[in-house]
Amino acid sequence: MNAPMIELVGVGKSFGAHEVLRGVDLSVGRSEVVCLIGPSGSGKSTLLRCVNFLESYDSGDVRIDGRLIGYQDLPGGVRKPMSARRLREMRREIGMVFQHFNLWPHMTAISNVAEPLRRVRGLTAGEAADRATAMLSRVGLGGRAHAYPSQLSGGQQQRVAIARALAMQPQLMLFDEPTSALDPELVGEVLEVMRSLAAEGMTMLIVTHEMGFAAHVADRIAFIDGGRIIDEGPPRHVFHHSQEPRVRQFLQTYHDRNSF
Amino acid sequence: MNPDLLWRYLPSLISGFGVTVFCWSVGGALGLILGFAIALARRFPFQPLRWGLRAFVEVFRGTPFLMQLFLLYSGGPYIGLRLSATAAGVLGLALYSSAYFAEIFRAGFGAVPAGQIEAATSVGMAPFDILMRVTLPAALIAAAPPIVNMLIILSKETVVLSIITVPELMYQVQTMAAETFTAFDAIFAMAVFYWLLVESVSRLGARVENRMTAFLSPSGARA
Repeated sequence: MNAPMIELVGVGKSFGAHEVLRGVDLSVGRSEVVCLIGPSGSGKSTLLRCVNFLESYDSGDVRIDGRLIGYQDLPGGVRKPMSARRLREMRREIGMVFQHFNLWPHMTAISNVAEPLRRVRGLTAGEAADRATAMLSRVGLGGRAHAYPSQLSGGQQQRVAIARALAMQPQLMLFDEPTSALDPELVGEVLEVMRSLAAEGMTMLIVTHEMGFAAHVADRIAFIDGGRIIDEGPPRHVFHHSQEPRVRQFLQTYHDRNSF
Repeated sequence: MNPDLLWRYLPSLISGFGVTVFCWSVGGALGLILGFAIALARRFPFQPLRWGLRAFVEVFRGTPFLMQLFLLYSGGPYIGLRLSATAAGVLGLALYSSAYFAEIFRAGFGAVPAGQIEAATSVGMAPFDILMRVTLPAALIAAAPPIVNMLIILSKETVVLSIITVPELMYQVQTMAAETFTAFDAIFAMAVFYWLLVESVSRLGARVENRMTAFLSPSGARA
């Protein structure tokens, strides 16, 4: 079986009259790192959220390792919502990291990581604590296991959130602007963890504004505007040789702002 | 001010205070439980149940407590509900406060950040686990200050029970005033007792709140 890890075919989505996604095709292979870039409001976060069905899509297919997520196709072209249980089973395999971390504030770092292991993977308290400790060490927070989120910096909180997703041993990881809410000097530590994940062969789909990171770590870049993928290819192609005016304009603004 | 008089009536005042504390604590506890159950049940997507509970809340919040108490105590026997004055008082406090507590818990549920629930959803947690481990703790923390506030208000609503002859503090104070023609001494004694009650409730409440929210402040938490 060589199905791509993530495969989107003609994905469409509207919020009322507003069409956010207009037939998006995208595939992410095993161990591939793909960055989604584009102006705000272009639909990149919505697209990412469709991959684990936190957001439902209206048309097209989103397949994870060959399996349609969110819906069940019946004979005769009828489509009905997937059972909640099957959807949960699929979500277990898809790690997600949010812009605002979304840690549970009433739990310590280690409990944040251990909680899903106990409730979803069915580990005992001891097993979950062991795995959580190992995951926190991996993101460089072995010493802060018993701190509450409010006692951690934004960068540390985001690393706990990454550990929480990783501990589930997902097949792939989704990142929704993981560094956008961070102070500039805390961005590096989070990107470093993501870089090492990529090096270990994790399949990753990342919405980001960190162009330098995208250029160095991504295997492919997809540029989204107005709910469509306008250009796609290796970083070198998108950043330097894109023929699309919209892409060039976007990158030019970016370049102007970040050079001094 | 007449110390001898106060001394003479102290036993009845203390007994009245005891009845007040009893009615308030039992009525408040039942109201909390009922209010919580109402708020939880209102989350189920079953319209008739939602409408029914909403009507319950509107009726008990929208009418005077005194009227509710009268209906319960004097009107109850007409539908076969024969309650002693104290039982009617406790039940009345429970029903009345449950409407407020239900709204407090509802607001608490609403205060849980969507992102925390999304995070739980994204790792594949089941709805019941999300409720127990994420939604409820966050909702209860948000609800704690208004709950303490409502309990304080409720402690003073207990004076209304004197009207259906529950022998609580207000009742004893009125008796004392009527028997001795000393309005000031009796009222003064009542103020002291209520101050004692409210002060201890709010102190206890502040301690509970601090404990519950210690983890929210960078320095206050104990790991």
